[in-house]
Amino acid sequence: MNARGAVRVEFTPEQRAEVRRLQGLYPDRRAALLPVLQLAQEAFGHISLEAEEYVAGLFDLSPAHVHEVVTFYTLFFREPKGRHVISVCHNLTCHLLGAQQVLAHLKGRLGVEVGGTTPDGRVTLLGVECLCACEMAPMLQVDDRYEGNLTREKVDRILEGLA
Amino acid sequence: MAEKILTRNFHLPGSHTLALYRETGGYAGLEKAFAMKPAEITEEVKKSNLRGLGGAGFPTGVKWGFLPQGHPGPVYLVINADEGEPGTFKDRYLLERDPHALIEGMIISAYAIGAHLAFVYIRGEYVQPWRIFGRAVAEAYEAGLLGKNIRGSGFDLDVIVHRGAGAYICGEETGLISSLEGKKGWPKLKPPFPAIRGAFGAPTIVNNVETICHVPHIMNRGAAWFAGLGTKSQGGTRMYSVSGHVTRPGVYELPVSATLRSLIYEHAGGIPGGRRLKAVVPGGSSAVLLTADEIDATLDVDGLKNAGTMAGSAGVIVMDETVSIPEALMVVARFYAHESCGQCTPCRESTGWIYKMARRIVEGKGRKEDLDTILDVARRGAGTAICAFFDGAVGPYISYIEKFRHEFEALIRK
Amino acid sequence: MVRLTIDSKEIEVAEGTNIIEAARRLGIEVPHYCYHPGLSVAGQCRLCMVELGNNPRPQIGCNTQVAEGMVVRTDTPKVLEVRQSIMEFHLINHPLDCPVCDQAGECWLQIYYMKHGLYEPRMVDEKVHKPKAVPLGPHVMLDAERCILCSRCVRFCDEVTGTGELGIFDRGDRSEIGLFPGRELANPYSANVIDICPVGALTDRDFRFAVRVWYLDTAKSICPGCSRGCNIDVHYNIRRPHHNQGRRVARLKPRFNAEVNRWWICDAGRYGYRFVDDPSRLGAPARGRGDAAQEVGWEEIIPLVTAQLRRYRPDEIGVVASPKMANEDFFLLRRLVDHLGLIHVDFRVPPRTPGDEDRILIKADKNPNTRGAELIGLGPRPGGLDARGMLRAARDRRIKCLWVFHHDLQASAWPAAEVGDALRAVECFIYQGSNSNGVSAAAHYVLPSAAWVERDGTFTNFEGRVQRFWKAVEPLGLSLTDWEILGRLGAALGLGPEPASAEACFKALAASAAPFAGLSYRELRDTGKVLSA
Repeated sequence: MNARGAVRVEFTPEQRAEVRRLQGLYPDRRAALLPVLQLAQEAFGHISLEAEEYVAGLFDLSPAHVHEVVTFYTLFFREPKGRHVISVCHNLTCHLLGAQQVLAHLKGRLGVEVGGTTPDGRVTLLGVECLCACEMAPMLQVDDRYEGNLTREKVDRILEGLA
Repeated sequence: MAEKILTRNFHLPGSHTLALYRETGGYAGLEKAFAMKPAEITEEVKKSNLRGLGGAGFPTGVKWGFLPQGHPGPVYLVINADEGEPGTFKDRYLLERDPHALIEGMIISAYAIGAHLAFVYIRGEYVQPWRIFGRAVAEAYEAGLLGKNIRGSGFDLDVIVHRGAGAYICGEETGLISSLEGKKGWPKLKPPFPAIRGAFGAPTIVNNVETICHVPHIMNRGAAWFAGLGTKSQGGTRMYSVSGHVTRPGVYELPVSATLRSLIYEHAGGIPGGRRLKAVVPGGSSAVLLTADEIDATLDVDGLKNAGTMAGSAGVIVMDETVSIPEALMVVARFYAHESCGQCTPCRESTGWIYKMARRIVEGKGRKEDLDTILDVARRGAGTAICAFFDGAVGPYISYIEKFRHEFEALIRK
Repeated sequence: MVRLTIDSKEIEVAEGTNIIEAARRLGIEVPHYCYHPGLSVAGQCRLCMVELGNNPRPQIGCNTQVAEGMVVRTDTPKVLEVRQSIMEFHLINHPLDCPVCDQAGECWLQIYYMKHGLYEPRMVDEKVHKPKAVPLGPHVMLDAERCILCSRCVRFCDEVTGTGELGIFDRGDRSEIGLFPGRELANPYSANVIDICPVGALTDRDFRFAVRVWYLDTAKSICPGCSRGCNIDVHYNIRRPHHNQGRRVARLKPRFNAEVNRWWICDAGRYGYRFVDDPSRLGAPARGRGDAAQEVGWEEIIPLVTAQLRRYRPDEIGVVASPKMANEDFFLLRRLVDHLGLIHVDFRVPPRTPGDEDRILIKADKNPNTRGAELIGLGPRPGGLDARGMLRAARDRRIKCLWVFHHDLQASAWPAAEVGDALRAVECFIYQGSNSNGVSAAAHYVLPSAAWVERDGTFTNFEGRVQRFWKAVEPLGLSLTDWEILGRLGAALGLGPEPASAEACFKALAASAAPFAGLSYRELRDTGKVLSA
C-alpha cells in the first residue's frame, strides 16, 4: 500500500519472477504481454495508467503500445471495479430469451446503470457480447463462473451469494 | 442413432481426467500415429475429408500441406479455442469435458507438421474451461505425454496455454496470432498465409479445437471410416450447438450428412409451446439466415453452401414466430460494431453505421431509404476488408432484410 | 527485372516492386492513403484496390508485388466502384470541417473524392465524435475526428524515429489516434507526421490558420540548418500579403531526395525560416555606430567600404566568413581576399552550446556550407590568424579592420567580454549579414545580405554533395545577395565587372577550384551531386 492506501504499482519479487518466467516461455518475449497484464490486473485490482507504464518498462515497450493493448480488449479494467463483476450476455439467443429483463432486474436490485459499480464497491454490472453459453440462455458470468437459465429468483440468489 | 465419437464421454463423471480418458481408449491413436511417418499422417487426414470446424470449413489435411517442406526454423501449432461465434458453445464442452481429446489430437497434429511448440489460445472469459484444460495439460506432462521424448518416440512437444482478453476478432486465425504475439488482435494481411509466415514469423498451422479432437479417431479407425461417416466432400461427425426457441438446447453430435430439420425437430425437441418456426441461424451469427422452408439442407459445408448459407461454426439459433427480425438484426449489428477491430476502413466505418441504422429502424425512426442503404453498403463492403469478419457481418445484414423485408418495412411505415 | 502489364501498357520493374510503384512509373495513379514508400505496408485503407488477372476480387496494390506476366487493371468498372465505396466509407464519420481545416486544398479526402467519389452522401446518423484541436506537442495539432486511421503517423514514430509515442487506441469506429495520456509528441522529427497525414488530422501549429494553401507558391531549396542539407520546398505567400501577418515565407516542407533526407526533415530545420520575415532583418546599408548610425544607399556605402579595405595593410585586416554562405559567395570572397593579399581569413566560430547530432538526419555542425568554405579555401593563409586570434588581435589593435559575415559573435563559445572588447577596440568593424544580432549594432558599416530563400545558390553538404537552392521571394528592402555585394566591392577594387548571376559565379568557381571542376547548375539538377575526392 502506498501512502494514499491505494495499491502500489509494483510487482512483488515472486510476481517479478513469474514475469520473467512468462517472458522466457515464448519465442518472443512480447507475447507475454497479455499474461503479464492479467497478472497486473489481479495484483493491482485494475490497470491504471501507472500500471501500463510499469508494465511497458518491463517489456521495453513504449507506453502508447501498452495502452493500445489495454484499450483494445474488454477484459482489462482501466478503472477500479467492484469486488464482483457481473457480465450479462445481450447477444442474440440471450436477447431472445430475456436478457433485457435480466439486466433490468439487476439494475433495479443494484441501483446502477450498465457499466456502473455499486457505491459500496461490491458489484460492477456489465452488458457483454456472446459468452458462448447459449444453451443456458439467458445467462451471465459472475466472476469466474457462468450462471444460466436465469430467473428473477436465481439472479437474486446469485446476488445474495456475493460478499 | 449415429455413433457418438467426440461426445461419447461427456456424460461420464471424471471425463476430463487422464485416468478416464485412458480407460475409454484414449491415447491409442497417438501410438498408431507414432508408428507412422508425419507425411503419412497428413495424407490420412487429407483422405478423411476432415474440414475445419471453427468456421471456415477448409480441408484440414490440405491446410497442413501448405507448410513449406524442409523449413529450417520452427513450425508452430496453434489451437483456436477463442470460441466466440454467437450461438456456438461446442468447444467449451470439449475443453471442460474431454480436454485430453484435444491434447492427444494436438500431439498427433504437431508430430505430423513438425511442430515442437503448440499454443492453445483460450478466450479470456472461459475461466473454468481454462482451469480444467490446464490441469489436463499438467496431467499429460506428468505422464510423459507432453515434454521431451513423448512415450519414447523421440518426439518433443511443449504446450503453452494462453488466455485471451476479450475480443471476438481473436478468433480469426491471424487476429489470434497477433494477440498471441502480445499485440492488439488485428488480423494480418494475407498473403503471406500463416502456413508460410505465421506466429512469430514462423510457419504456423491454426486449427479449431473440435477439428483437432477428431484427429486421434482418424488415426485409430482410419481415414476411410471417417470419410464414410459424412458426405462426399466432408467426413466425420460434428458437434452442433443448438439454442434459442427449442425444447432441448445443447450440443448434439451428428454426422455431417444430417439435415437441419432433423437437428431441430428430432434431436433438440422442436419449438416449445407448439409455435411455428420463423427462421434459423444455421452456422453462427455470421451465416446467412434460413427461413422455415429452407431447413431441409444437409448440415455439411457444401450442403449449407448450396443452400445459400454456410456451415460456419455449426451454431444453430432457432427463432420462432414471436421474434422480431429487425430487432434480431439490431442485436447482431450491435455485436459486429462492438467487435470490429477497427483496423481497416470498410469494416470499421460500416459496422458502426449499419448498427445505427438498424437501431433507428427498431426505434421507429427508420427512413424508407435505410433498407436499401444497408443492403448497398453491405454489398459494397463485402470482399474489401483485410479479413472475413465483415463478410461474416454481411451475412445477417443482407439475409435478414432480404428474407424479411416486410417486417422492416412495417416498422418504417409506422 | 520483372515484366508486367498495367492498363494494357507494358513495363519492366525491379523484383519486389509493388503495384502502386509500378503503376506510378507508367504515370498511372493508384489512389491510396496508408501506403507510404518510406514506411512499412499497412494495407488498412483499402483504397489501392486493383484487378489482377482473372481474380474476380480486387486486391490491394500496396501489398502485391509484381510478378512476371502479371496483368493489372486499374480502370475497370469494378475498380472504379470499389474506389467509390472506399471513399464513402472514409467519409462516413469524417466531420465537415473543410471551411476551418488547414488541410483544405491539399487534402487527400477532397482530392480523391473529386476524382473517385462524387456520390450522393446518404449518412444521416450522428457521426462518431472524438477530441478536436488537441496539441500533441510543440508543433503538432491533432483533430481525432478528421483522422482516417491510416496509421502512417504511428508507423513513422515506430520505424523512423523509434520513439513510439503514437498509438491507435480502442477498437471499431471508436478507434482513436493518440498519445499515452500525459505524454508529448516531442521527438526532433515530430512534425513529419504532419506531412504524411493525408488529411487534416495532424496539422502544423506553426501554420495554423495562417494562409490558404492555394495562395502559396513554391521554390525548391536546401535547409540551411545544419550540414546535412536536407532538400526542401519553400512555400511562400505573395498573393495575399494581408494573410499570415504579412510574412512571405509560410512554411518549409521536406523535398524527397533518396540520398540525403529521403522524405524527412528535422523540426529545427523545418521551422528555421522565421528569421527571413523577422523585424530584425537588416533592410538597408548603414554607417555609423550606435546613435550615429544612419541608413545609406549602396552607391554611398560601397565606396566607403572599399576605401577602408584599401586603407589598411593586408595584415591589419581580418575576415570572418560564415559557413552559412553559399559556394558562389565563397568564390567571390576568395577572389577578393586573394586580390587584396589578406592573410587573416577564417570561417569557423564555435557555438556556445555544441550542436546535437543523431543517426537519422541531424548533424552537429549547424551550418549548411562548412564543406564549401573548406573546399573553396576560406581558412587562414600561411602566417595568418584564425578567428579567435583575429579577435584578440583586434582587441590589441593589431587588426584594425574586422569584416564579419553573419556570425553573432556574442552567441559564440568565446567569452562575451572578449568579443565586446575586440569590437569596441577595432577601428573599422564591417558587419555583413541578413539580420541584426548581438554584434551588428557595434558595426561601423552594415551591409545587409539577402536571405537564402531570396536568391539562387548552392551549398556543399557534409559529404561533399553540392546542391542547388532556388530563389523564392525578392530580397527584403535593399538587401543584396552576398555575392552581389562582393561583386560590387570587387569591381570597385579593380577585379573586373560584377558577375551577372549566381550561375555565373558558379561557372567561374567550377572553372577554377579543382573539386568543383566540370560541375554546372544543369549537372546538379534537383538532387545535387557529390564531389569526387
